[in-house]
Amino acid sequence: MALPTSYIPRDSIIHKLDPRIKLVIIVCITLLVFITTKFLPIGILFFSLLVLWKISGIPLKRILSYLRVLVFLFLLLIIMQAVFYPGEKVLLEPLIPEAVPLVGGKGNITLEGVLFGLLLCLRVLTLMCIFPVLLATTTLEKITLAMVKLGLPYRVAFTATTAINQLPVLQSEAGVIMDAQKLRGFMVFETGRFLSKIKALHVLVVPLVMGSMRRASMMGIAMDSRAFGAFKKRTFVDEINIERRDRIALAVFSLFTGVILFFSF
Amino acid sequence: MGFMGYEIVKLESVCYSYPRNKDHVLYNINLSVKKGEFIVIIGENGSGKTTLCKCLNGIIPHSERGRFRGRVLIDSMDTRSAYLSEIAKKVGIVLEDPESQLFTTTVFNEVAFGPENLNLPVEEIKATVKWVLEAVGLKGLENRSPATLSGGQKQRLALASVLAMKPAVMVLDEPTSQLDPLGTEEFFSIIEELKGRFGMTIIMATHKTDEVLPLADRICVLHRGRILACDKPEIVFSTVDLLEKIKIPVPTCFSLSNYLKDKGGLNINSFATPEEAEEEIRVLLNHQEKY
Repeated sequence: MALPTSYIPRDSIIHKLDPRIKLVIIVCITLLVFITTKFLPIGILFFSLLVLWKISGIPLKRILSYLRVLVFLFLLLIIMQAVFYPGEKVLLEPLIPEAVPLVGGKGNITLEGVLFGLLLCLRVLTLMCIFPVLLATTTLEKITLAMVKLGLPYRVAFTATTAINQLPVLQSEAGVIMDAQKLRGFMVFETGRFLSKIKALHVLVVPLVMGSMRRASMMGIAMDSRAFGAFKKRTFVDEINIERRDRIALAVFSLFTGVILFFSF
Repeated sequence: MGFMGYEIVKLESVCYSYPRNKDHVLYNINLSVKKGEFIVIIGENGSGKTTLCKCLNGIIPHSERGRFRGRVLIDSMDTRSAYLSEIAKKVGIVLEDPESQLFTTTVFNEVAFGPENLNLPVEEIKATVKWVLEAVGLKGLENRSPATLSGGQKQRLALASVLAMKPAVMVLDEPTSQLDPLGTEEFFSIIEELKGRFGMTIIMATHKTDEVLPLADRICVLHRGRILACDKPEIVFSTVDLLEKIKIPVPTCFSLSNYLKDKGGLNINSFATPEEAEEEIRVLLNHQEKY
């Protein structure tokens, strides 16, 4: 399965943009999602991200898999907001009877509460749609280079991108461990109930963590024997240059930010 | 071919034991390797092959703690006092498990990683990567992700990525463990080329004695952390009883020639390769015809 972190080799305009520009844009979009509290701008942001997904070649179906993972969180968010958000239009009478001391009479389910819950869900979903655009269109080496050019030390940049790179490895390792356990008759992950699955998690997590630690130390050795950190300066074979299209992209994005901010306040 | 003679690797009474374990994994290892030599280290599992390999480029004692005594000199540089990155310029090491040695997103970047760290000019790096990928037979896969390669390709890529640093000494720890017989043969022909064309000093730990035999200058037998023998292949492999006792497979031709001599009572010279065997048999036949 393709992870949200995997690079999709393509030749789209987003692939060609300078990764520094992409990094800046992505950080800005993240900030925008945090400062807007209205449906319209968030909706525009979400829709624009989907357009970017389409251009980058990320299958839009992936949204469904996000929803599957997030459905519990979303339900919880909506219920919590519906009950506790102060609002005027009451949809349902208090859940807690008046007779109960202290909290009696509280817990009106209001329209505003439900809407606010939905807004939060959309914001979370939008946040999750941001990073795939960068990761699908930029190789990790280029992201590393962009971070270095933006002033981060190479070690830090390398660590960050390598962590992302290791996610698929970790995922496949988890799969192998689970298969090995199933083959030896460990059924909990297939047939067990939710709680017993959680209880059985250590059976998966312990070998996974041990394995990663072992692999990390092996990787350290491999890096050392390839002169990692030998010199203060280091060559980068990849080249990144800010060109005309990058300036245009930045200009378009500034305009876009203006529109979002206009609708936000 | 580089001139043989001067000792590029020298181990002086090296002892090592892992932390929390008093038993010596390596005990009093003395070994000197001349420039351009091809040394093969054989020994059963747990005999200390990997540990010995790690001593050669300073991973022990730098990255792995434990009790280390003695000296390892690489080109008269003591591995204890030199930085790992400094040693890396002279000694390249390919470990057994290729997966954990590959950590970039494309084959090209994987090979370029080492030279990039050495701060070499871009053009030179590109030329090196091209040459190295061609040498190991991975040409055309530059943009593939290492994770999508087969086990054998990964092992060759691990070799390529170390080769790109152009080390004077190449340490290979069971580099063909995941290759099928054909892949192993290919791998060894790459090694043969490195030795023949570039005079690279090669130290290889392996189980596959058959393939390695025609290439090796010396065979080192490691058993429970001690070097039992370190000599020319024909001398080492003539001690069949000893090798069988410590569970080291004797190359097929050797065991045949030894069998014919000892048990069959034939008066022949030892042979290491099918060609030599043919010659011996012809001599034997001629001999018979005469009488």
